[in-house]
Amino acid sequence: MKVHVDMSICLLHGQCVIAAPEVFSFDDEGQLQWLADVDDGLRADVEAAADACPEQAIRID
Amino acid sequence: MTLSALDPGTAPYLDLSDPTFSIRSEPVRQARAASWYARTPYGLAVLRYDDVQKLLRHPKLRQGSYLWPQHNDVTGKFATWWMSMLLCQEGDTHARLRRMANPAFSPKLIADLLPKFQALAGRLIDRFAKKGECDFIAEFSEPYATGVICDLLGLPFEKWRELADIAGDMGLALGVTFKRDLPIIEAATEKLFAYAEELVADRRANPSDDFIGMLVKANADKAQLSDQELLDMIVLAIFGGIDTTRNQLGLAMSVFIDHPDQWALLAERPELGKAAVEEVMRVRPTVTWVTRAATETFTYNDLEIPQGTTLHLFSQSAGTDPAVFPDAGFDITAERKAHFGFGGGAHHCLGHFIARGDMTEALKLLARRLRNPRLNGEAQWLPDSGNTGAISLPIAFDPEA
Repeated sequence: MKVHVDMSICLLHGQCVIAAPEVFSFDDEGQLQWLADVDDGLRADVEAAADACPEQAIRID
Repeated sequence: MTLSALDPGTAPYLDLSDPTFSIRSEPVRQARAASWYARTPYGLAVLRYDDVQKLLRHPKLRQGSYLWPQHNDVTGKFATWWMSMLLCQEGDTHARLRRMANPAFSPKLIADLLPKFQALAGRLIDRFAKKGECDFIAEFSEPYATGVICDLLGLPFEKWRELADIAGDMGLALGVTFKRDLPIIEAATEKLFAYAEELVADRRANPSDDFIGMLVKANADKAQLSDQELLDMIVLAIFGGIDTTRNQLGLAMSVFIDHPDQWALLAERPELGKAAVEEVMRVRPTVTWVTRAATETFTYNDLEIPQGTTLHLFSQSAGTDPAVFPDAGFDITAERKAHFGFGGGAHHCLGHFIARGDMTEALKLLARRLRNPRLNGEAQWLPDSGNTGAISLPIAFDPEA
């Protein structure tokens, strides 16, 4: 499963980090890091992250 | 050079304790042009878009009102709920509760509710459309905001008055007379918990995929969401959803009365409903600021912010910051950056998909049916700071044939 984040609309609220901490995280500079290619076992978490994003910036393929 | 937020320094001063203070006043605009922050009687005010965005999610800040009952020397049922509920949690506990709540607030669940919101708005408008006048708050925004919560909870619309009164009584806890009004607040809190318990008992007996049903499902694993946390969450959803939506819709009507061409445009092009909600919330959010408190001393923009400092992040001032919105006239067709009317960061409003959905449906329908709305007498307003809005908003419009 491929995960995309549209950084042109992301406001770094961090709701994805709360919803799917194994996939999304903030680095020391506070920038969003994420796994672009994720095992299907984490699909439910990633979908929850995409749903929870206030800016709806996450797309799953 | 690093300044301390404790120094008087040269930063502008805004007297937030003055009842006539307005978030939209010239002194706020001047302060924003001169400085990213202002001093206030209760800590700092943060004025510019970029700084509001950064500080909403700053790791050295926590949500700022968790000590409110303590500051008022109040204990009891309301205080216990306040200190335990999602908004006042941080870190792992906050993340766990938020994960448990998210499915009940997901955009997928809201789609099923939109037809109900349309029906509710239509029914309310039917009652006054032919008269050509109404009090927009008493006859539309309050029953609508509360009716939406009834739909969400699966309660009949007839319950709206009782729920609105309970939420109103509980809301006294946010005012300066918190301690004096405590008996009323405690009684309302008890009633709301009784409602929540009834709803939970019903869904345990009749499992469902609606809002309460999803929360009851999350409660199956008590380690993830305990029985008490489940009730706390339902009470938060009811308490948090009523006054905010009522106020925001009143503000929307007031803004559109000042911009009749935009109202006519929305009537013609209902697909602009969603953008209309965003544009109203950018220039006239009911939540004019959110608060954060420093968990430790840290330096930001060369300013030392001591542990315990309260920061008021001005969403209204950020949304009209000329550095980000140079051509900031009210325009529902403009492409804009996101506003902070729903706060931001870990505590971003949980109910925003519901609020956006219900306000979009309401504005689309109102614009189509209430032509040429105008003020029809004197409106009564809450102070233009904190959580603002109209208490009454008498309007006239072209009577429906």
